Amino acid sequence: MSLAETDVPLVVTETPSNRKGVSVSRRIWRAAFASYEFRVGLVVFAVLVAAALLYPSLSGIDPTKMNVAGRLQAPWFLGDKWSWSAPLGTDQIGRDMLVRSLVGLRYSLLIGFSTVVLMLAVGCTIGMLAGYYGGKVDLVLMRITDAQLSIPMIILAITVLGVSRPTIPAIILVLGLSSWPVYARVTRSVVMTERKQEYVRAALVSGASDLRIMALLLAPLILPPIVFISVLDVARMMIFESILGFMGLGVQPPTPTFGSIIADGRKYLLNAWWIATMPGIFLCLTLTSVNLMGASLERARNRIYGGA
Amino acid sequence: MFILSFLVRRLLQGALIIFLVTLLIFTLLRVVPGDPVRLMAGGMAPEALIEQIAKQMGLRDPILVQFGRYMAGVVQGDLGQSFVRPASGAATGGSGFSDASRSDRAEVLTLIADALPMTLQLAALAIAFALAFSFLVGVPGGLAPNRWPDRLAFYVSSIFVSLPNFWLGIVLALLFSVKLGWLPAIGYKGFAYTILPAIVLAIELAPVLIRNLTGSLASVMQSPFIAVARVRGLGRQRIVYGHALRNASVPLLNLLGIQISGLLGGVLIVEFIFDYPGLGLLTVNAVMQRDFPLIQGIAIVSSAIFVLINIGVDLIATLIDPRLEY
Repeated sequence: MSLAETDVPLVVTETPSNRKGVSVSRRIWRAAFASYEFRVGLVVFAVLVAAALLYPSLSGIDPTKMNVAGRLQAPWFLGDKWSWSAPLGTDQIGRDMLVRSLVGLRYSLLIGFSTVVLMLAVGCTIGMLAGYYGGKVDLVLMRITDAQLSIPMIILAITVLGVSRPTIPAIILVLGLSSWPVYARVTRSVVMTERKQEYVRAALVSGASDLRIMALLLAPLILPPIVFISVLDVARMMIFESILGFMGLGVQPPTPTFGSIIADGRKYLLNAWWIATMPGIFLCLTLTSVNLMGASLERARNRIYGGA
Repeated sequence: MFILSFLVRRLLQGALIIFLVTLLIFTLLRVVPGDPVRLMAGGMAPEALIEQIAKQMGLRDPILVQFGRYMAGVVQGDLGQSFVRPASGAATGGSGFSDASRSDRAEVLTLIADALPMTLQLAALAIAFALAFSFLVGVPGGLAPNRWPDRLAFYVSSIFVSLPNFWLGIVLALLFSVKLGWLPAIGYKGFAYTILPAIVLAIELAPVLIRNLTGSLASVMQSPFIAVARVRGLGRQRIVYGHALRNASVPLLNLLGIQISGLLGGVLIVEFIFDYPGLGLLTVNAVMQRDFPLIQGIAIVSSAIFVLINIGVDLIATLIDPRLEY
């Protein structure tokens, strides 16, 4: 439909019935937010993040402080010799499990989110360029993407981190560079269809630069299919971070991470099962909340695209 | 004849991919810090000797020269010898100083050939568990969109996808092996040792399969040919199992092909946790010991498996759904 045919006023009046005036992204957010699962996920996630940000400093407990006298204390629900100072018990050298788990959660979230941002940046840029310019650019970039998909990335990741010293930027880089192809593919397919549309040609004719078209017209369109993938990927990357930590290839001690605490606790599984179990429960809760939000977004998107 | 040209094309593409993977791993291993000779010869070995061994092994040549020499061996079926493992079994290296002559080091090919069947057994059982479970949860979910079986499938897959495999492995081993004594867990002394690791892997695989199956089954049930089947008077059983599932299983199969590469990562961790003597454990140890030839060999073999599985998946998909083209 060209501009000349539109007799309807271009200013969209804000009435509840006028659903067409609301952007697709916003409709997806609304639909997701309306679902019970999304709200449960959001509340649990908010509580966990608040706890991770506030509790370690508010309680004033140092996650690396040893206390040999109070070591291997059981969590509060097991009775005997627990104290309020260590509600989830202590580990083999008396470090507080609750504070350690929450500090671990901080690093997990930090690495999970940064990795996804990196993946988005790399994947969407590549997909955008491939889809927009097409031809040889597309061919080369997509071959790289395909090759990337068939490389056993986990071997690569533990090889690189195993033989060099794992630092936070190194971990983010390795994880991020190993999983961007999905974003490149999705972005490319969206851009390829949108690129042929009238409004893009109109913008080109009126002298808009390629960069302007990509940044202002096309970039917002790749959001709906990518938001839920990236939310789910945050959870996936948090799992990877904990796996690396478990294998001793994550953030190095004394900094507590989920993986390293669980690896330590594994040695005390028989007499102090909570050391390995507690951080895992925190991780699971966080991941479930993130996954509930991501999956609700996915559902909302499918419903809106399926219905439209 | 379509099949033949399809196979040739895909196998050539696959060979290229394997070559690129090998080149990448080969270069990375030599670029990142960490000297394998230092580990092999032990911390006490003098610097001059290390240089001498390294030269002797060709590790100081330009990377491209090393790569050429290595690939020349690979095309003849020679993946080289492990840096640290003697042919007789346990790994050497560490603090002791040993300069075993190269003849008694284990062949990479033998090491992989010993470990691979164990991993295949584990993977096959895991996929079987995962498929069985996905159908059990996913089919009712797909047949009742937005009702409780659908919600159940949604919650189950959300929770499963949130269980980190290594933690789940530890917890299940503690529960079923230590506390209840139902299943053995650590090491391998018989088939029963495969079950617990396979369950952990299956739980990792299942969520995506469940979600995909529910989604595609629900949309297939909406399609006209299902309505026609009802008009033809076919029973519900026949419609669901004979027609709907057949169509819904094609995307599932493609997904499974992609999942296999993810399974590789899971196998690594799960074998490490359960001390299961497969390819994953071999990989972890090889990386820890900077056993370059072994890492390279595993990379080649696993990417070859990956390529073959994807070709196989595409072939089976065309068998299930003849509309697809090669």
